[in-house]
Amino acid sequence: MAEKILSVVNVTKRFGGLVAVNRVDFDIEKGMVVGLIGPNGAGKTTFFNMITGVYTPTEGEIVFDGNSIAGMRPDLVQERGISRTFQNIRLFGQMSALENVMVGMHRRLNAGVIASFIHTPGMLREERAAVNKSLDVLDFAGLGRGYADTAARNLAYGLQRRLEIARALVSDPKLLLLDEPTAGMNPQEKADLTRLVQRVRKELGITVLLIEHDMKVVMGISDRVSVLDHGEKIAEGLPKEVQNNPQVIEAYLGQGAAAEGA
Amino acid sequence: MKGKLLTKTEWIAALLGAALALIMGGWSNIVFAVIAGAFIGFTAEQTKAGARRALIAGFIAALATVVAGWFHNNVIVTLPGLTDVPKASNTLLVYAVALGLGTLAAFSLAWTRASENERVSRYGPLALLGIAAVVFPFFNQSTGLDIIWTSAMVVAMIYTLQALGLNIVAGYAGLLDLGYVAFFAIGGYTAAFLNSPQFHLDVPFWFIVFIAGAAAALFGLILGAPVIPLRGDYLAIVTLGFGEIVPIVFRNLEAVKIYEPISEIVTALQGRPQDALCLVGCGEFPLNITNGVQGINPIGRPEVLGYVFETGKYIPWYFLILIMVALAAFFINHLRRSRTGRAWVGMREDELAASAMGVPVVRTKLAAFMIGAMFSGFAGAFYASYVSFISPDAFDFSISVIVLSMVILGGSGSIPGVILGALLIKLVDPLLLDEMQRLVGGVLQVTVLKWINAPGFENFIKSLLDPTQYKLMLFGLILVIMMRVRPQGLVPAGIIKYKG
Repeated sequence: MAEKILSVVNVTKRFGGLVAVNRVDFDIEKGMVVGLIGPNGAGKTTFFNMITGVYTPTEGEIVFDGNSIAGMRPDLVQERGISRTFQNIRLFGQMSALENVMVGMHRRLNAGVIASFIHTPGMLREERAAVNKSLDVLDFAGLGRGYADTAARNLAYGLQRRLEIARALVSDPKLLLLDEPTAGMNPQEKADLTRLVQRVRKELGITVLLIEHDMKVVMGISDRVSVLDHGEKIAEGLPKEVQNNPQVIEAYLGQGAAAEGA
Repeated sequence: MKGKLLTKTEWIAALLGAALALIMGGWSNIVFAVIAGAFIGFTAEQTKAGARRALIAGFIAALATVVAGWFHNNVIVTLPGLTDVPKASNTLLVYAVALGLGTLAAFSLAWTRASENERVSRYGPLALLGIAAVVFPFFNQSTGLDIIWTSAMVVAMIYTLQALGLNIVAGYAGLLDLGYVAFFAIGGYTAAFLNSPQFHLDVPFWFIVFIAGAAAALFGLILGAPVIPLRGDYLAIVTLGFGEIVPIVFRNLEAVKIYEPISEIVTALQGRPQDALCLVGCGEFPLNITNGVQGINPIGRPEVLGYVFETGKYIPWYFLILIMVALAAFFINHLRRSRTGRAWVGMREDELAASAMGVPVVRTKLAAFMIGAMFSGFAGAFYASYVSFISPDAFDFSISVIVLSMVILGGSGSIPGVILGALLIKLVDPLLLDEMQRLVGGVLQVTVLKWINAPGFENFIKSLLDPTQYKLMLFGLILVIMMRVRPQGLVPAGIIKYKG
């Protein structure tokens, strides 16, 4: 059994009377690509938001790399090594692609306000290194340096998705959370993005957790798949197993579908 | 482009320059020819051919300006009620200089911008603008004419400094601060306390500037810390409150008497409040900190190597504030191109995403608030020293609004834009409107009013068509039009480029 990088223990999130996530236990082993699926409104994004500190869990514990991170501020969670993308792309529209990526390095740079004021030699050296690294990451994400000085909002949709991944990768996270990275893409783009995620794992050694609706994508890249429905985890296992789990089929297609299929 | 003599923007530059020279008269055609030329130089295509075209366009614009200026000096000036144009400014030499400098401005700017050497294309135009800014007051003085130009520039640059500071808060970090005047007041009063008869202190101006900046930043921290987590409208309302409260505090701190609270309660209950233990301001007169509405006067002047700045001699003041503005622009540009600046803009664009990328939102916003306040503090210290008198009335809410308008009109988040916006708003009022008032009055005198014999009706017509009466309306109108036509501002913030 490989080392666990993230373990979510009995986590619940309630918004008033609504239970968005209900007593979910969830582990991720280092170096894996884990898919998180479930019908709309199953609580997947809420789950993401709890891991990244946007929401504090109502109950339960989240342990990342040996430390509790439940209720920690998002920027501190990112500093610990969890980076993410968003379901609806959330780039810094008026900033260049390169600057977007450089914001992702915020916690990896040390220049204080005074050094930023006077642009000390040390600060300039650090900036140059940051620029070069960001350009490398843009290359890695398949965006290319040609787009470095383009405003993020002027990029094509597919490139914006890639830019968001680049921005998340530049901080050298240990765990990358992708929220529907292939939403709205055509099959060719989806295949390209799948390859990118595989390279993230293989070449950078980053553990990946992704929410995805496209079964072909999920089954193609995930080592393990977990299924949420109505805030509860209803299945977990190898992609093949999950695919044939009657409860999962029921959650997606409704009661009776599982029986007919079988 | 080919075949056309001037592009649309170049026509606008030429006609605006001409219109302004027509209104202002005197030797102003030199100034407007240069400004129109500069505008053409900045908008010209960045190629050698573009520079050649700019040469022609600049010449035409300068010519139009000169003709308009000549028309004012020889025809319009004969209207009743207009100030005489000094002979010196109605000479061939002045017109030739205007023509030459206007053309030169257009060509030199276009040419340096088109240069293949990156150093030249980047710093060349800046250097040219710098030369113009340095030469301007001497030029103004050597003509021995309108001293008002330089003094108007000094005031305009005080506002420019504030606008640059507010640009950090509102432009970069996207925090709507409607009480920015509070920090101007704090800077001003800090300077007043430290060098005036009020406390018999005589701290040199060069220290005061920094102390005032630090004091403003400190109050930025104190006022900002509890409210920074608020978003959008809420923050705007709270800062609006600060802008109102701070001048009132300065107004009321003229008779301070503080009792020890426990003894105050006890003695009050015993029916002998006069026996309460007094801590501060116990003598015959209560402690007077700010001198209330009377204000503090006189405030000390800067001194360089034995030379003391004085009222009426504007050139030293002009250079002092010019240096302050230039340094502010320089350092704020540095800040923008650093991780702090990127965090500010990222936060403005998407706070949640910035936070998920590791930006500590509260601390970063507070930094913007403090640094923005600091520049207003610098401006306040200069203002106090320049006017040598300070009172709570000088820090009206309208200042917050005007400075914010400068930022938005010029281009939120763009340093050249904010400078341009500030100068435009603050120069139009004292220079242009007064002159327009005389001009319109003169035209009316020889046309409509000739046929009216009722003095009451005459006055009514005169004040109805008085441009200075429409100051605020014009101001509002410009803002509305700008927001409809060009919401990103006159010079929109561009993409920041980095070298690897």
